[in-house]
Amino acid sequence: TRSRSFPPPPSDQNSPCPSPSLSISSSPSLSLPSTPSSSCGPPQAVTPPLGVISEGVAELSLVIDAEVAHRACQEVLQKVKLKQLPAAPSSAAPSPPAAPALNTPVKPLKIREEDDPEGPAPGSVKSARRRQRHNPSKQSWLLRLFESKLFDVSMAISYLHNSKEPGVQAYIGNRLFSFPHEEVDFYLPQLLNMYIHMDEDVGDAIKPYVVHRCRQSISFSLQCAWLLGAYSSDMHISTQRHSRGTKLRKLILSDELKPAGPRARRDPLTLTPFCPVASPAAIGEHGLSPSKRTHQRSKSDATVSISLSSNLKRTASNPKVESSQDEPVRLAPQREFIKSLMGIGKRLATLPTKEQKTQRLVSELSLLNHKLPARVWLPTAAFDHHVVRVPHTQAVVLNSKDKAPYLIYVEVLECENFETSSVPIRIPENRIRSTRSVENLPDCGMTAEQRAGSFSTVPNYDNDDEAWSVDDIGELQVELPEIHTNSCDNISQFSVDSITSLESKEPIFIAAGDIRRRLSEQLAQAPTTFKRDPEDPSAVALKEPWEEKVRRIREGSPYGHLPYWRLLSVIVKCGDDLRQELLAFQVLQQLKSIWEQERVPLWIKPYKILVLSSDSGMIEPVVNAVSLHQVKKQSQLSLLDYFLQEHGTPTTEAFLSAQRNFVQSCAGYSLICYLLQVKDRHNGNILLDAEGHIIHIDFGFILSSSPKNLGFETSAFKLTTEFVDVMGGSDGDMFNYYKMLMLQGLIAARKHMDRVLQIVEIMQQGTQLPCFHGSSTMRGLKERFHMSLTEEQLQLLVDQLVDGSMRSLTTKLYDGFQYLTNGIM
Amino acid sequence: MSQVEKKAGLLRRTSSSKKPLKEKVVLMYDEIFAKEDPAKNNARFWDELFLMKVNLEYLESKLESVDGEEVQRIQDNINSLFHHCVQALGEEHQIKVVNALQTLCALFRGVHQKNKSASGFDIINMLMGFDKAEQRMKDLMERLDSLLCGDGSESLKSLCLKLLLCLVTVTDNISQNTILEYVMINSIFEAILQILSDVSSRGQHGYDAVVLLALLVNYRKYESVNPYIVKLSIVDDEPTLDGMGMVVHQALTEYNRQYKDKEEENQGGFFSTLTSMVGSMFIADADEKLSVQTNEAILLALYEAVHLNRNFITVLAQSHPEIDIPTTPTTPTPTTPTTPLGTTPPSLDMMNNPELPLDPNLQTSNLLITFLKYASIVMQDTKDEHRLNSARLCLIILTCIAEDQYADAFLHDDNMNFRVNLHRMPMRHRKKAVDKNIPSRPLVCAVLDLMVEFIVTHMMKDFPMDLYLRCVQIIHKLLCYQKKCRIRLHYTWRELWSALINLLKFLLSNETTLLAKHNIFHLALLVVNLFNMFITYGDTFLPTSNSYDELYYEIVRMHQVFDNLYCMVLRVSTNTGQWKEAASKVTHALVNVRAIINHFNPKIESYAAVNHISQLSEEQVLEVVRSNYDTLTLKLQDGLDQFERYSEQPKEAAFFKELVRSISLNVRKNVSLNTLSQDVLLKEFSTIS
Repeated sequence: TRSRSFPPPPSDQNSPCPSPSLSISSSPSLSLPSTPSSSCGPPQAVTPPLGVISEGVAELSLVIDAEVAHRACQEVLQKVKLKQLPAAPSSAAPSPPAAPALNTPVKPLKIREEDDPEGPAPGSVKSARRRQRHNPSKQSWLLRLFESKLFDVSMAISYLHNSKEPGVQAYIGNRLFSFPHEEVDFYLPQLLNMYIHMDEDVGDAIKPYVVHRCRQSISFSLQCAWLLGAYSSDMHISTQRHSRGTKLRKLILSDELKPAGPRARRDPLTLTPFCPVASPAAIGEHGLSPSKRTHQRSKSDATVSISLSSNLKRTASNPKVESSQDEPVRLAPQREFIKSLMGIGKRLATLPTKEQKTQRLVSELSLLNHKLPARVWLPTAAFDHHVVRVPHTQAVVLNSKDKAPYLIYVEVLECENFETSSVPIRIPENRIRSTRSVENLPDCGMTAEQRAGSFSTVPNYDNDDEAWSVDDIGELQVELPEIHTNSCDNISQFSVDSITSLESKEPIFIAAGDIRRRLSEQLAQAPTTFKRDPEDPSAVALKEPWEEKVRRIREGSPYGHLPYWRLLSVIVKCGDDLRQELLAFQVLQQLKSIWEQERVPLWIKPYKILVLSSDSGMIEPVVNAVSLHQVKKQSQLSLLDYFLQEHGTPTTEAFLSAQRNFVQSCAGYSLICYLLQVKDRHNGNILLDAEGHIIHIDFGFILSSSPKNLGFETSAFKLTTEFVDVMGGSDGDMFNYYKMLMLQGLIAARKHMDRVLQIVEIMQQGTQLPCFHGSSTMRGLKERFHMSLTEEQLQLLVDQLVDGSMRSLTTKLYDGFQYLTNGIM
Repeated sequence: MSQVEKKAGLLRRTSSSKKPLKEKVVLMYDEIFAKEDPAKNNARFWDELFLMKVNLEYLESKLESVDGEEVQRIQDNINSLFHHCVQALGEEHQIKVVNALQTLCALFRGVHQKNKSASGFDIINMLMGFDKAEQRMKDLMERLDSLLCGDGSESLKSLCLKLLLCLVTVTDNISQNTILEYVMINSIFEAILQILSDVSSRGQHGYDAVVLLALLVNYRKYESVNPYIVKLSIVDDEPTLDGMGMVVHQALTEYNRQYKDKEEENQGGFFSTLTSMVGSMFIADADEKLSVQTNEAILLALYEAVHLNRNFITVLAQSHPEIDIPTTPTTPTPTTPTTPLGTTPPSLDMMNNPELPLDPNLQTSNLLITFLKYASIVMQDTKDEHRLNSARLCLIILTCIAEDQYADAFLHDDNMNFRVNLHRMPMRHRKKAVDKNIPSRPLVCAVLDLMVEFIVTHMMKDFPMDLYLRCVQIIHKLLCYQKKCRIRLHYTWRELWSALINLLKFLLSNETTLLAKHNIFHLALLVVNLFNMFITYGDTFLPTSNSYDELYYEIVRMHQVFDNLYCMVLRVSTNTGQWKEAASKVTHALVNVRAIINHFNPKIESYAAVNHISQLSEEQVLEVVRSNYDTLTLKLQDGLDQFERYSEQPKEAAFFKELVRSISLNVRKNVSLNTLSQDVLLKEFSTIS
């Protein structure tokens, strides 16, 4: 029986929502089946404050979908109830009113699992699912589960995927509305992959939610469009064209999914209560004001002062007035921005040498700068912002054989909301020094007198109050260090300096040996920077401590003085499929939170991945980290010696904490490598950060795929003697700690295996990704969790894995292979 | 009178074939030069006049032929003509505007031609009449301004700029051009900026606009307040400054390209003969060897921008792909610097083109690189005056750049590496490094290379002392920056040291001839102080410990030069003479160099003796140096890391006056209104009106 209780035809989605729906601002999260009368009743007149408060969560209620969702929700459940009533009438009826908890459904779950033995344990979740699958007559349990506090996004996704019952799917589709956005966003790849590749019912269940979120948010829209494109790409071209995914993508990109209703987003009433004390406007406006001011100043200087005679009002005739009053262009700027970044990557790939690539990159980015600031942002960032400038000279081309991935740094201004806050006005590159233009006027061949004269004939030029407003002082301060060095040119901390006072006739003598000594000392003392290598331009850039880089770039930036200035970085990949990377990121993130939840001190660093299409994307770089390859090549030291050089002798606090970090991260990544079968583990793909953590990157070969399928790297993970040396040898305490961590980590992971499996399993659908090659991928993954083993047996397993990896000849072989073929040490 | 006839004869031959037939416009000109008010009999006289095709030659010669007394008689009519010209500029009928612009040109030129000696006031009186002059000029400038900034025809804009260039260069000495006083009051600066900021107008008129600006800035630069100076110094609009830089960049690139073409042409070989055959079809003067005419006007514009506007410095480093697209070979006019720019279609403009052309061979470049290449060409040959001036101006610009903190910062920026192929003079004792693989380095290395190159190639009888001084000072300024900011540049300092030592050697061996003209002690002092910088502050900016040893090695190796220099300066300073003071300064400056030589020489000799080696290897000498530092004491000298900042006045004022004069002459010669033939305009406007 098909219950087509649900949702309005797609054509309805495009039509602007009738304004009455505005008033239903009580969120659907309240609309639990248990309290149908209250939530689904006639639209209540809502007092303004309530409407305002609930806006963040309840903006979703502004769309038809929400309303429909309610109804559908109840219908479905009603049906389920009716069905089950004869079977288990008592259990279905008393469903707890879980309404208040639903806004934060995940946390309670966590607490419950550990602290509340009476609550349904995770085991029961599983069993419920099993029951649902095999015994439809027990669906009352299911209902109870759905209504319980425990029901979180992870479960929702799982049921959406596994349930064959359209009613359940539809119900879950509606329940999505009640989860916090961030939690659903984590599963967006899964949701969309299901939308594309699963049957119509699932698609219909998901669509309202996606459409609704798209209306709300530009970044969500783009995210969806990119993912839909990427995950549709493996379909046959003819089916792809007419597939659901492609259609939805087109709909999103057509930019018709605007916020419903005529409600202006920057309505002060809705905006102001939103921000704590400093209103979002304050941020935006603050960012604007200096440039605005000074811009006016320069205008007034030039016009007022000189064109005494004529009515030429054209000084600042360049049309750079921000037309913020216009209808904001939604998707276009960001798409253009991404497009130009990708275009750069494509063009770089055609150049033969690293050096040419780097140069080209710099000049391409400087052109890009002309179009900034704009309403564009880096999707990998954790906060809202506008991109204002790309410090083009800092960009580097990364090591890659035939593609041209590159790393850029991006200056942004943090803002309340990138969709509504106004875009900062451009501050010219030269602004940072503009005031000096005035100071240096006497240089232009006028004596002081003449200069004075010039001001009388040219009024309002220098002594104008406006001209030296607060903003200018701010600018002066930016320059201060420079002025400072200017004035005391002859101050030097290192050399005895020439003192130009004529009185001190006493000759000063210095020893040549001292100069020579100082020279070698200073050269030795200089922080271990890497040497510039034209073949590896990124090594130097990556070695520089992040804090230092931020400071340096901030100093050189015309926007640097603004309080909300931030520096971000991103790796732009063009020609690479990042879908596997994204999958790996999700798994890592999931394991990380599992380990956090189980309080196992394993350390891993999932880095954000943005899939733009099946062959392009962006990666959030790991800051303060260089690859082991770079470490070894530049330092010419063993890993342990490098640790000693960077952190100090083995007994120091610094070394010990670096060592601990190393062990915790090694344990984390060893497990990851084992579980996900991460291959291609040469030293170029393992980073070492400034605190001693290792970080694995490049998950191009996971699960069923390995490079060239040569069958190298048969060991479970990479554990070289160098690693063991850093841990203090294979019989040391830290090594035992390493093994213990692995055991604990594996036990914890096993406990929550489903949360990991689910991520992978859903993505297997409709894909050609090499990591899913063959039929045994999922089975293999599941087996590696070793559900059947006792803890003692698990310990044995870990010991075996570690021993095996340590003794592995193939690891060494593989490193040698990499050295021969790619020059990676 | 005879001259007029001659001209008239020429005219007739060219314009009208038959003798008695006079053009209508000529008849009307004659009426103006009669006593009567021409409008008296014909109320529509002025209307009709501007519908006629202008006969520039006739009008100009007529004006020139008017002598003193006649002037009084016809002044009213000329004033009237001027007045109506200005009024016609506001006409909707574009033909009238064109004719009025050309007539104005003829008026300015003719009147000045006649009254070369006359005071500016007389000229103003003759053209406009004293009492009305201010109003007339104000009207004129406003009309020109609105034509330049309006949406009108590009040809019209071009003509407006030509008129302004014509007006500005009508006197040899720009500062004596009294009419410009009105151009100062009624500024067209904003119009120039607008042309430069807009992509398409920049492509077509950028060159004229930039030259015009450079000239206007030089009007009574040292005597009065020139608003153009003030305004130029505070421009901070990025697109405008970029635009200005782009125009200069393109002009210099074009020059570099022409030079390269000629160089290849002259290199012989099968391929080059082939190309020269093709090339000679376009280049009229085939035997005009490697002397592409330098372009001081554009260089002056660059100088003014760099010197006056601190914001412009950022433009220098703005990267563009090298615009090395062969310009369409149009008319064979390689000598007029006005043409090359017009041929670059605006579509090539990078500001316009968001995405750079996809050509892997395209080298990335920026204005500074192009400028350095240009300088390397110009500096090769400083024999003729133009080139000498050009080279001097290049060095002055580099001086300004080297003094600027921001410029220094990007010159030394480790992230901005470039391959700069400087042109090197082919010389007997060295092979021309054709494809010497220059590594990609920070830009300052290219500047230093250029300085070294200059030093080693100009030691000649006709010694360019002034250029050498500037050159050494530029190096000094860069070193001061490196010392201050502790930048350890990976540069082969050895090349610089040996170039400097060779320079000292040259000064010594040509002492007598040089002393007749120059104060060689001043240069020697600067050179020795460069060594002192390295000796006393080497720890702050040398890249490796070895480089300090190498410095000592080089000094010890070439000790004879220093010994001889010391003898010479000691001799001169003990004699009484005009050089006494200067020479004694050098003796003091040499104290550390001599200490080093006197300290290490005996050590090296004894090392050789002990080890029974006749000829020590470099490594052995370095070893001796390394092990004997501790017993050497040096004296700290005063003010090594200080320098006099560049200032144009009073030192350089004379140079710039002369330079501007020569540029004026050149521009005047090249601004022929015929470049914009009326036929083209007529064709254009016949469709409009």
